[in-house]
Amino acid sequence: MLRRERAHVEEAPGRGPLGGHHERPDARAKVSGSTRYVADLALPGMLHAAVAVAPVASARVSGLDLASARAVDGVEAVLTAADIPGRNLVGVIFEDQPLLAREKVRMVGERLALVAARTPEAAWAAAHLVHADLEPLPAVHDPVQALEPDAPRVHDAGNLIRTFRVVRGDTARARASVVVEAEYRVGGQEHAYLEPQGCLAIPEGRQRITIVASCQCPFYVQHAVARVLGLPLAAVRVEQAPTGGGFGGKEDYPSEPAACAAVLAFATARPVRFVLPRELDMQVSSKRHAMVIRHRWGADRSGHLRFAEVETVLDAGAYIGISTVVAERANVSSIGPYHVPAVRVSTRVAYTNNLFGGAFRGFGTPQVTWAAEATMDRLARACSLDPLEFRRRNLLDDRRRRLCTGQSLRRPVLARECLERAVALAGWDEFHARPRRQEGPMREGMGIGLALYGCNLHHGGQHLDRSSAVVILQPDGSVVVRVGLTEMGQGNLAACQTIAAQALGVEPAHVQVWQPDTTTVGDSGPTVASRGAHASGMAILNAVDRLRKKLDPVAAELLECGERDVELAGGFARVRTDPDHRVPIARLAGEMASRRIEGISTGWYRSRKRRFDPVTGLGDPYEFYAVACHIARVVVDAELGLVRVTEVSAAHDVGKVIHRDVLEGQIQGGIVQGTGWGTSEELKLDRGRLCNPSFTDYIIPTAADVPSIRIAVVESEGPGGPFGAKGIGEPSLIPTAAAVRNAVVEALGLEIDRLPLTPPTIVEALGNRHPFAWVAEEERVRGRSEEVAAGR
Amino acid sequence: MSERVVVTLTLNGGRRTFEVAPGRRLLDLIREDAGLTGTKEGCAAGECGACVVLLDGAPVTSCLVLAASADGHDVVTVEGLQQSGSLHPFQEALVAQGGVQCGFCTPGLAVTGAAALAYGPGTADERARLLAGNLCRCTGYVKVLEALESASGEKADRAST
Repeated sequence: MLRRERAHVEEAPGRGPLGGHHERPDARAKVSGSTRYVADLALPGMLHAAVAVAPVASARVSGLDLASARAVDGVEAVLTAADIPGRNLVGVIFEDQPLLAREKVRMVGERLALVAARTPEAAWAAAHLVHADLEPLPAVHDPVQALEPDAPRVHDAGNLIRTFRVVRGDTARARASVVVEAEYRVGGQEHAYLEPQGCLAIPEGRQRITIVASCQCPFYVQHAVARVLGLPLAAVRVEQAPTGGGFGGKEDYPSEPAACAAVLAFATARPVRFVLPRELDMQVSSKRHAMVIRHRWGADRSGHLRFAEVETVLDAGAYIGISTVVAERANVSSIGPYHVPAVRVSTRVAYTNNLFGGAFRGFGTPQVTWAAEATMDRLARACSLDPLEFRRRNLLDDRRRRLCTGQSLRRPVLARECLERAVALAGWDEFHARPRRQEGPMREGMGIGLALYGCNLHHGGQHLDRSSAVVILQPDGSVVVRVGLTEMGQGNLAACQTIAAQALGVEPAHVQVWQPDTTTVGDSGPTVASRGAHASGMAILNAVDRLRKKLDPVAAELLECGERDVELAGGFARVRTDPDHRVPIARLAGEMASRRIEGISTGWYRSRKRRFDPVTGLGDPYEFYAVACHIARVVVDAELGLVRVTEVSAAHDVGKVIHRDVLEGQIQGGIVQGTGWGTSEELKLDRGRLCNPSFTDYIIPTAADVPSIRIAVVESEGPGGPFGAKGIGEPSLIPTAAAVRNAVVEALGLEIDRLPLTPPTIVEALGNRHPFAWVAEEERVRGRSEEVAAGR
Repeated sequence: MSERVVVTLTLNGGRRTFEVAPGRRLLDLIREDAGLTGTKEGCAAGECGACVVLLDGAPVTSCLVLAASADGHDVVTVEGLQQSGSLHPFQEALVAQGGVQCGFCTPGLAVTGAAALAYGPGTADERARLLAGNLCRCTGYVKVLEALESASGEKADRAST
C-alpha cells in the first residue's frame, strides 16, 4: 500500500493523498498485537479496582456492611460515598447522578462501594462480599407509564425531564385525503465494543493525577475526575489510550469508571487499573435509548405529504446522562429528508428505573428514522403508490429545501441523487418487475430507508463545537500533529494524517498523529456527532496556515520568489508558476531549525453561530446536513421468523472523501451494526435488569451474517468541513434498520411496528397467517380447558 | 490455594516453563506470565474470539483453556505469526485492504485467519463461517473477508507457481 501511495503521488504531482487509500497509520501495530490498550498497561505497585453494585432497580439503602469485603486477602481499600474527596457526582450535563449511592438505588448496577486490591480476583471477590441492606421501593419500567400522574417517582421532581418540540404550520388545518396512524416501539441497543471499558489512574501525591482511559471524550473524563477529586482541571491529565471501539458507548460513560479509579488511586496513593468484566460492562453501561413513537401523517390525493404529527417518548433510564441531548437531535430529525408543509413534533424524555440511555451512533436519529420510514411506506400503500415513487414526490431537493424546522438547506441537496444511486445499485426496478420467488416458507422483499443527518453538534451544544490542534514541523521534515478528537477505530488518525499531509504537501507517512492528551491541546469538545474528521481537520488546517506564516518566508528566500508564490506539494516547496523550481520540505525544515525559527503552530476551529428557538424548534439546529439512502434486500423465513439481510445498497452524500478505505469501512461497519440492531440485538429487561449480558445471548452479527454491500459515494462542492468533507460515522448506520424493516414488511405483506425484528416478533406479527398458528391456538384452547379442569 | 503446577510448552517456537496456579487460564499465562499482551480479553467466556491462539495449530479461545492443560503442547500467539520480522500474509492483507479499525479484535482475527489459510483457500461462505467465532464491531467484516480472500489467493498463486 505504501508503494501504491508513492506511485499515486508521483503520477499526480501536487494532487496529494486526499481521497486515496494509503495505509492507515495505526494498522500495522494493531494487526501485530503491539498496540497497548488499557488492560495491557501495568505499573509497579498497581492495584486493581472493582465495584459493588445494586442488584435491584429501586430500593432504599439502609446499611452497607463492608467487613467481609475488607477481610479479603489482598484488599487495600473499600470505599463508600463518604470517602470521596470532592463532590459525589457524575453526569455530563445534569447533577442527578452520584458516583456512589448514599440513600437510594434507582437502577440495577447503581454503584454502592469501590474496592482496590492487589489482584483483580481479590478485588472482585471483595466487591461481591459487600453486603447492602436494601428495602425495595416501587419502580417504573415503561417510559409511557412513567409519565402518568400516579407513577412511582424516580427522582423527587417527577419523571418528565424535558419536552422538545417542533411546531411549524397548522397540522389540524392541513388538507389531507389520506391519513395513517401508527405506534412504534423501538428497542435500545448495546454498543458491544470489543474492548470493555477501562482506565488507569496514576496519582502524584494528592496534588495531581494522570488518567489513561479507553474513551471518546478525554475532556469529559477530565471534568468528571476533577470534580470527584476536588482538583482544578489543570491538575488532571487525561491521555486517551488506544480505544477498542466506542460507537457512543465511550462518550459519557467512561467518566464513571475513571472517577472510580481516581478516587481509589488518591485513597491508596497507588496506580489503580479498572477494567470492567464483559457481563458487568453490558449490565451497567449506557445503551441506545428505547423509544415509543406515535405518528399521524397525512398526504393528499396526488401523493404529496401535507402534515406530520410525531409524539415520541424516550426512556432515559434512572439518570439523565446525555438523554436530553439525544432527544434534542431526535426531535428535529423526526420527519426525515421530506418536504412537509405542517409539522407538529413533541419529544418527551422520561425517567424510569431502567438502564440509562446514552450516546449511540446516530444519537436518537436511527429510532425516529425507523419510524418515519415505516410511515412513509404505510402512506405510500395508502396512496396506492410504490414506496419509491412516493419518496420521489416528497424528497427535499434544490427547489424545496426547507427542513421541518424551517431551516433552508444549502445547495446542493442530494437526497434525490442518493435515492436514485441506491435504486440503481439495488436493481429496484428489475427486482420489482419479476415475479417474487416463493420457495417453501421463504419470502423475498426489498425496502428503502432514507436519513437526513445534521452534521456536528446541535445548536444546544454549540458551546462545545470547537477544537484545537498543534502542528510541529520537525528538523527532518517529518510532522507531529496533536488534536483533541479521538481515534476509537473510526479512522480519525488516518483522517488527520491525510488532511495534514494534503495541506503540507508531504506524504502521509511523514505525518505522525498522536492520541489526544488534555495537556497538549485545548478542550476540543467530544468526539461525537460524526465531527471527528471535521473538527480536528479544520483545526489542523488553521494550524498549517499559521505555520506557513513562518515557513513561507524561508521557502521564498531559498526559492528566490515571493512568499505568495510558494506552494507545498509532492514533498517540496515550489514556485507556483514554475513547479520544477523546488526545494525538499525536509531541507526547508532543517533550514528553519538551524535558523531557530519556531516550527510549531496551534490551530483553532469553532462552528458558525446559528439561530434556533428551543421553544418552537424553529431555526437552524445544525450547520449543514448529510443525506443517506440504504436499500435492503431480505429473505424472510415465514415459519421460523428468521430475517436474512442478503444485500444492502448504500448511497452517501459525503461532501468530499478524505480517505477511501476509512470511508468504506465506516459505511460497511455502520450497515452491519444497523442490521444487528434491526434484526437480532434485543435488550431483554426484567424489572430493569438486563437478562442477556453476554455475546451468547445478546446477538451481534458475525462474519457469516454479513450482507453483500454496494456503495455509491456522492461527492459535491457544497457546505462541509476540511476540503468539503461531511461526516460519515453515523449516517452509515441510521437508515439501515429502516430499510430492513420495510423489506421485511414487503416480503410478508404485513406491518411490523416493533424493533428488533427477531423471530418471536415476526411470528407474533404473522398471527393467524403463521403456518403453525393452529398449534398455538390448540395450546391456548387446551390451556383454557386445563384451567377449567383445575377449577380455576 | 498455594498449590502450583509446572507447565512446559512451546510458545511461539521457544520452549518455556511456567509455574502457575492450577486454575490459571492459558490467556493469563500468555498475557501476564509471558508478557505477550497482543492476545486480548474481550469476554472471558469464549464468545468473542479476541483471545484466540493456536494450540497445536488449531485456533482456540485461550480464556477457556487451563494453562496446565497446555503442558507439552505448542502454542502460537499473534506475536508468533510473524516470520523473521515480516507480517503473516493475512496480516499484510488486513493492512493493505483496510481491514483494521479499532484493532482490539484484530489479533484474534489474524490468528484465526492464519489457521483458516492453513486449511486451504475455501469458498467465500466457508471463509465467512471460519471467521464467525471472531466478533468485530467496527468493520462489518467486509474488508476482513476481502483480506482473507486476497491472502488465500496469493497463497494459491504461490502454490501453483
